[in-house]
Formats: sequence, structure tokens, C-alpha cells
Amino acid sequence: MRPRIDPARLAAIAPTELRPGEDAVARFVAEVEAVAGTAEVVARGDAVDAAERAVLAHRPLRVVLAADLDARREALAGRLETVGVEVVHYEQADRATVAEADVAVTGCVAAVAATGSIVTGGAAGRGGALIAPVHVCLVERRRLFDGLLDVLRALPAIGVGSALSFQSGPSRTADIEKTLILGMHGPKAVHVVVVEGDADS
Amino acid sequence: MNRPGPDPLTSSTFSQRAHEQLGKPFLRRAVPKATDHAYNALRDRFRDHDYDALREQGRRIRADAVEHLDEHLATLVAALERNGVSVHRAADDARAREIIRGIVRDAGGRRVVKVKSMASEEIGLNPALEADGVEVVETDLGEYVVQLDHDRPSHIIAPIIHKTRGEVRDSLSRVAGRELPDDAAALTGFARDTLREAFLTADVGISGANFGIAETGTICLVTNEGNGRMCTSLPRVHISLMGIERVLPRLEDLAVMLPLLTGAGTGQLITTYVSLLSGPRRPGEPDGPREMHVVLLDNGRSALRGGAYQDVLHCIRCGACQNVCPVYRQVGGHAYGWVYGGPIGAVLTPLFRGMDAGGELPHASTLCGACDDVCPVKIPIHDLLHGLRSDRVRGDAAPRAERVASSLWSLAWSNPWTYRASVTFARVGTRAAARVPSGLVRRVPGAARWLDGRDLPGGPRPGGRR
Ligand code: SF4
Repeated sequence: MRPRIDPARLAAIAPTELRPGEDAVARFVAEVEAVAGTAEVVARGDAVDAAERAVLAHRPLRVVLAADLDARREALAGRLETVGVEVVHYEQADRATVAEADVAVTGCVAAVAATGSIVTGGAAGRGGALIAPVHVCLVERRRLFDGLLDVLRALPAIGVGSALSFQSGPSRTADIEKTLILGMHGPKAVHVVVVEGDADS
Repeated sequence: MNRPGPDPLTSSTFSQRAHEQLGKPFLRRAVPKATDHAYNALRDRFRDHDYDALREQGRRIRADAVEHLDEHLATLVAALERNGVSVHRAADDARAREIIRGIVRDAGGRRVVKVKSMASEEIGLNPALEADGVEVVETDLGEYVVQLDHDRPSHIIAPIIHKTRGEVRDSLSRVAGRELPDDAAALTGFARDTLREAFLTADVGISGANFGIAETGTICLVTNEGNGRMCTSLPRVHISLMGIERVLPRLEDLAVMLPLLTGAGTGQLITTYVSLLSGPRRPGEPDGPREMHVVLLDNGRSALRGGAYQDVLHCIRCGACQNVCPVYRQVGGHAYGWVYGGPIGAVLTPLFRGMDAGGELPHASTLCGACDDVCPVKIPIHDLLHGLRSDRVRGDAAPRAERVASSLWSLAWSNPWTYRASVTFARVGTRAAARVPSGLVRRVPGAARWLDGRDLPGGPRPGGRR
């Protein structure tokens, strides 16, 4: 049997791992921004405020909320409805309704500091974070992994269902004469809110 | 895709095709520019990291996967089935087409959306489905344009590297029924809206597989546009066509293979999307296909095992060897006549399509070794090209003068020092030749055929092969 990957050795040679002593949150924010996403770090109590601000910045008419927002979903839905935004729960809506939404808000299964990736799936499903032109994602600090190796080793134990997607910044293409265009099939804008502090639930 | 007309590989020679491509001014500007861009991005990505050490890890992972392919495939099949995936085995392209047509038919599929897949190009899937009256829509922007133009992709990861924005505008304007603006953002926006409709209404999504993870029964797909996710999220059936060699034993192997694939391919740290697909929708999940099928494609792959060309099965189709190849950079992918162009195509085409059809392609190389130096899994492409040349010569399919040259080359091969000397000699030779009028060189016996249709290469780049 080929030996398993040595984490220290990999960290020394792969750009997708943290350097020893590197701060995970700072690197995560930097990598999200490097791929044309935006990110902010907020205290636990401010998570819903931050999500609301990020959503309303896009002046949406309709917002899709994923089930993995847990208790924050009701709070956020209430805030948005108060200001006249139509709120749709992803798992209850039909496809045509979701296709017309302006913003989608999800949680995530995990996130990866060294690559600026969020990992969605599970209760948020496959398409929830993908169809709207803007995606706002809440990331619990405790779900932020250092590098690819950590997260891949953790995934089987997390129990992640039939599909997971790593996403790093907005959808992009450079097929036409190498001109970079954001927002090909997935969102044009991705905003990540890192929620500091201890576990939810 | 309807590609009327004869198979370019058998109906023309490399030289004829290369001449045709060399007459395209845009191609000769655009391909070197785009490939330089990709190569520079690779260099920048690994500037502070030991690319060589990482690709050695990648090589080991791929070598283990291919060496123990039977075992890993058995694990993969069992894990996929545990995940509720229907697994099919296709010995060749005809069988693969038949299996996929059957799945689409059983699903009552009328519209199929596809994620760019070299394997599906290899088996000629689209015309087969279209013959059944199924509408097939390629959803990668570049592949979509290729499909509209009845063209072929000319680079593994940049399919329309050979097309100008004006040509793309013409193709999309035909679909729109009006003149679209000459602007990449507007053209992309139009394609996005058109393809969105296809995603929302398709019955079946078909993808390739960048990797199949044996331990967890997972298909890994990488894209930047998000079409991989769309095609595997929205339609009620997902079919993944996977070359049997694309297996990885463990999920954690992706921690090495993903940065190699995306770093070597585009210089990205990671592609925008990486999907890990482990079966159809499960209870409690809000979406996903009701059925997932994996079609394992052999089509000549297992026959390469245990032979001189086994290492080609390590390939992860990143396109990096195309980006650095002095021949590819001049003539583009179409000159190679089949789906895989550049150094990897010059190896795969004769192996998959036979020496008669593809045997001249290993000669479409300067043997400079730049491909070996860039390959993220350290495939000795240059050795494989050389071996194929020797095979062809032994099969008496090459002209006599070349046979002599090749056997001298083989002698040099067994001794690294002589090899280096012979490369130095070759470089001096081509440099000298480049200074004399071409008519003179073409009168040198034996040189004429070799040089026909080619710019004289300058020999290995400094530092190319150490
Ligand atoms: S041979 Fe190597 S460099 Fe070329 S496509 Fe395959 S993996 Fe990439």
C-alpha cells in the first residue's frame, strides 16, 4: 500500500495548504478576495445583520434561503420580509421560482482557508447556491479548515450526502480571447461572512 | 455534434493539416499568446513552492492507481454501487455510445446538457445521440461555440483558443437572430441566458470525470463556469463517462491532484468549482438527479497496461504539455487530426487509433522535452514519443533515411551523456539549417519530408532537459 500523504511534507510543497503559523481567517479572506469574491469577519451576534446588509446591497426583489442556515433562516427571512423582499425557502420552491431569484443565502458544510473555498451541499442541496446571480454564504469559524488535505480527511466523518461542491469566488470564463468574464453559469458575485465564536446549536 | 465530412486523421496528412493551420494569421498570434499566458500563470503559481516535489507526489499517486488499476476499479465500482450509482463497463467506443443511448432512451430523454468531456469527444457521443433525435447542448462556453460551428476543440482546456472574438460573435449572432455586440461580456451574457434555458429544461446531464475516487465512490468534476454543477444538479438523470484510468484510490489524493491539475492547466490555485458527486439525490436532500450512472470506458486503455506506454495512462488531461510544445504552439490542435492535440495527442492518437492512422504524429515533435518538464505527473512524454517513432520505423512504415537516424538516436538513448550530446548536435544542426535558404535544406536527402510543413524548431529550449 502506498503510504498516506504526510501533512507536513504536503504543506511545504503545495500552495493549497497553510504555511506553518499562518492565520487561517486572514488567509481565507485574502484568497476569497484574490478570486474576485468579497469577505468579512463578524462576531456571532452580528451574523444575521451582516447577511441582511450583504443581501440588501443588491436591492433584490426575491431571495432564496437554504435550509442549512438553521435558526438564522427565520431571523433573516423576517428582516427581509419587513422591507418588502419576497423570501423563498429553497427546498420548498419550484425551479422557475428559484430561477428568478436575485440573491441566494446559504450556510456551508466546510470552508478551506488556503484556497478561499466554501463547501456547500447537504441541506442546502446542489443548486441552491448556484442559480441566483448573487450568493451570500455564512461560514462558521469552526468549520474553516486550514488546507485541502484537512478538509478532505474530515469530509467522510462530516457525512455529506450525495453531492458537495467546493466553490471559490464567482463563476468565470476566459474562453473568448482569454478575456476574463465573471458570472458565466453560476453567480457573478459571492460574499462570504465568517462568523467568529463558538459552536452554534 | 454534426461534423460532416471525412475523418481528418485518415483523409489527410499531418503536413497538409499543419500547412492549413499555418495559413491562419489569428491562430499563429493567438495560440502562442494564450499558451504563454497559461504557462506564466503556472510558473507564478508555484513560484514559492516546490513544483517538482509536488509533481513527484502526483506521479506516485497516478503510478499506484494505474499499477493496481484492477483493484482500485473494483473498489470504485463497489463504492459507487453502495452509493446507489448504476455502473456500466464499456470495452470500446461503440459500446459506450450504445450504453449511453440506452440510458437516455430509458429516461425518455429529449434534451441532454453536457459538460465538456474529452472522453465524449473520443467516443463521438454527440452525433450518436443526435441520430436518435435527442437534442444535445454543450454548456461550456467554448464547447458551445465549437458545437454551433460544427468544429472541434483545439486545446484540452481552452477549446476555442483558435477562434477570434469576431468569429464567436458571428456564431452566437446566428443563434440570436440579430447582430450581437462585439464585446466578450455581452457575448458571454447572451450564451449564459440561452444555456440557462437548456439547463432548466434538460432531462439528462452528461459529464466526463476528472477523477473517480475509489474509497468513497465519488466522481470529481472541475469547472470554472459552473456548468458542471448545473448539469449534475438540475436534470433528473446524470451520466458520467469516465476513462478507467482516471481512478484515484483515496479522497485525500485530491489534495495533491487538484493543485496539480488546476495549477498546471490554468495556474489557478483551485478551479472555481470542484464537484464531488457520490450518487443520486438522497432522502432529505432538496435536489439532485433521481438516477446517476457511471460508464467506465476502456477503449484501448487496459491494453496499454504492462507495456512500454503504460505511463500515458497517468495523464490527467491538464493541457500543460500543449502550452509549452513548440510544434503545437505553431500549428494548434487541429493539425493533429483527432481529439487530443499537442504532445499528449501525439502519443495517444497512434495508441488509440492505430499506427496506420496516427503513426506520423510522434514525428510532429522536436523531442525538446519541454512537455516532460511541465507535466504535473511527470509522464516521460518525450520517451514515449521516441518509442513510438522506433516502433513505427521497425514496422517499416517510415522512409529509409529516417530509419537510420532513428536507430542512431536509440543508441544514444541508452547513455545519458551521448543523449545530451546528440541533442546538442541536433540543436546546432537545426540552427545552422535555419540560416540557409530553405530550398537548400529541402534538397538534403531525407530532410525534405521531415521538414515539410514545419518551421524549423530551434532545438530544446535552454534548461528544457537537464
Ligand atoms: S501529458 Fe501531462 S502535461 Fe500533458 S495533458 Fe497529460 S498530464 Fe497534462
